Amino acid sequence: MATVSSRPARQLAMVFDLNKCLGCQSCSIACKTLWTDAPGMESMWWNIVNTMPGGGTPRDVFSHGGGYKNGEPVPGTFPPLREFGEAWGFDQEATFASGGKAAFRPLERDGSSPEWGPNWDEDMGGGQYPNSYFFYLQQICANCSKPACLEACPRTGLYRREEDGIILIDEERCHGYRFCAEACPYKRIYFNPGRAVAQKCIACYPRLEAGVAPACVRQCPGRVRHVDYMDNLEGHPYKLVHEWKVALPLRPDFGTEPNVFYVPPLAPPAFNEAGEFDETKPRIPDEYLREMFGPGVERALETIQVEREKSARGEPSELIDILIARDWNDLLGPFTANPAELDRPPRGG
Amino acid sequence: MTAGTLTSVTAERLGDASPQLLAPGGTQWAKVSETTVSLAPTPLDAQPSAYVQTSWAGRPYGALASVGLSAVVAGDALYLRLRWAAAEPRQAISDNDTYADACAVLFPLDGKTAELATMGDERSPVQGWHWRAGTALPFVITATGLGTVSRVPDHPVSVGAAWENGSWSVAFKRGLSEQGVPLTAGASVPLGIAVWSGANSERAGLKAHTPAWLTLTLPK
Repeated sequence: MATVSSRPARQLAMVFDLNKCLGCQSCSIACKTLWTDAPGMESMWWNIVNTMPGGGTPRDVFSHGGGYKNGEPVPGTFPPLREFGEAWGFDQEATFASGGKAAFRPLERDGSSPEWGPNWDEDMGGGQYPNSYFFYLQQICANCSKPACLEACPRTGLYRREEDGIILIDEERCHGYRFCAEACPYKRIYFNPGRAVAQKCIACYPRLEAGVAPACVRQCPGRVRHVDYMDNLEGHPYKLVHEWKVALPLRPDFGTEPNVFYVPPLAPPAFNEAGEFDETKPRIPDEYLREMFGPGVERALETIQVEREKSARGEPSELIDILIARDWNDLLGPFTANPAELDRPPRGG
Repeated sequence: MTAGTLTSVTAERLGDASPQLLAPGGTQWAKVSETTVSLAPTPLDAQPSAYVQTSWAGRPYGALASVGLSAVVAGDALYLRLRWAAAEPRQAISDNDTYADACAVLFPLDGKTAELATMGDERSPVQGWHWRAGTALPFVITATGLGTVSRVPDHPVSVGAAWENGSWSVAFKRGLSEQGVPLTAGASVPLGIAVWSGANSERAGLKAHTPAWLTLTLPK
């Protein structure tokens, strides 16, 4: 049985520049405080940044199946909470009782020590000194054009907004079956055990409707994130994805056609044994980048390198101007409204 | 327990005006006869999701062969008790990848006719009483086809459940004259049953069910 979901009239798209991310998790905290601070959501990180190469969130994030192969759905699993990372407590009493000598240990709900959590293997990365490397990978729901989550649900508990392609879970219809979470190859769907419903990033759609950029975009101090409708031919996502071809989907082999794109990490060349750059050897292995971002990654990196050198010579480069984003508002597409200046009803009124 | 498999069940009348029948393992149920009802897995090709069909291909589900059904009218209410073997009970949803045991009874919404295999259609909906382990209240659901189940926000159905000695006992109660499927003294109503095994990750359409309606007759 084939399920085909129709394409929306417009598609919201984002581009994350992996060369600029500081790994500060401001995006994660902005999202957490805005959307997932309610009971049952303690362990949710709709936005998360992980060091790559690394295990990711949940552990071994890209190895749990889901998505499509040759157009057919791929069976997936929904890892247990410990693999995402629980909202830990801390062993404060032991620390205080020891006069501050005992280590301040994180504790799972059952009193055991955690074995995984968000960005667990922070800054470990890959490679061997002096050719070690890492980059930060930001993940939110990618509002895929071929959404495995939506198509997996046997009771249309998810839907796609016609006006922007954002995929939402209808919590009235969701019965907590979690086929969506199994089917998402990026594992960006969480489960609220108290309410027995699936929950995920909503692309801050209430902010978008008020002309405000998503919190993760607006709060990013590194100016990493670009947002716009993909049909805006002057917008950053269109220019970076379709004109310059330097922004690529994550794990395109999953077959879900995500609408979050990544400017791949441009690393210096590898060192040779003499401690000098060997221009013929990349620091980050090509095969790893191809696995992560598909076959267009080498050309994308080449383009960025060429334009960066042009810019360094003092020549104009539209690409570098876009990526630098000297005017912060340029990142935000049509969503430049300041949330502090909106007319809103008073809280608690 | 009655020998063999029956397709019609007559509810017994219990004189007790204040029965304790929502205690499904209670002594009052011991006096009530129990009918063994055969169950079968729902067909995989009818699951309304290509993902579900693919990921469950070759994977057994709905293996529970039978459920014990007891029916009582006491006072002005119908009580239905289901009893089935569950060696590994799942008494709540405890993690992302755990699923609770569950059961349900289903009727044509008009008490007369509806398609069981499709869970009703636009013209002839079905209504069910659905219990999920770990929840105090049952869900009352209506459906007009597979994948269309919706929950009724306010309803008069209550439930009691207990797991003892390797078996679940779940008793539903609804007043005969209350809102929902017509339950009339002396009349018959088609009845379907479904059971989900949480230990086998069964949920949604993945379940053991009665492939055809039974007939439940209420006493005069």
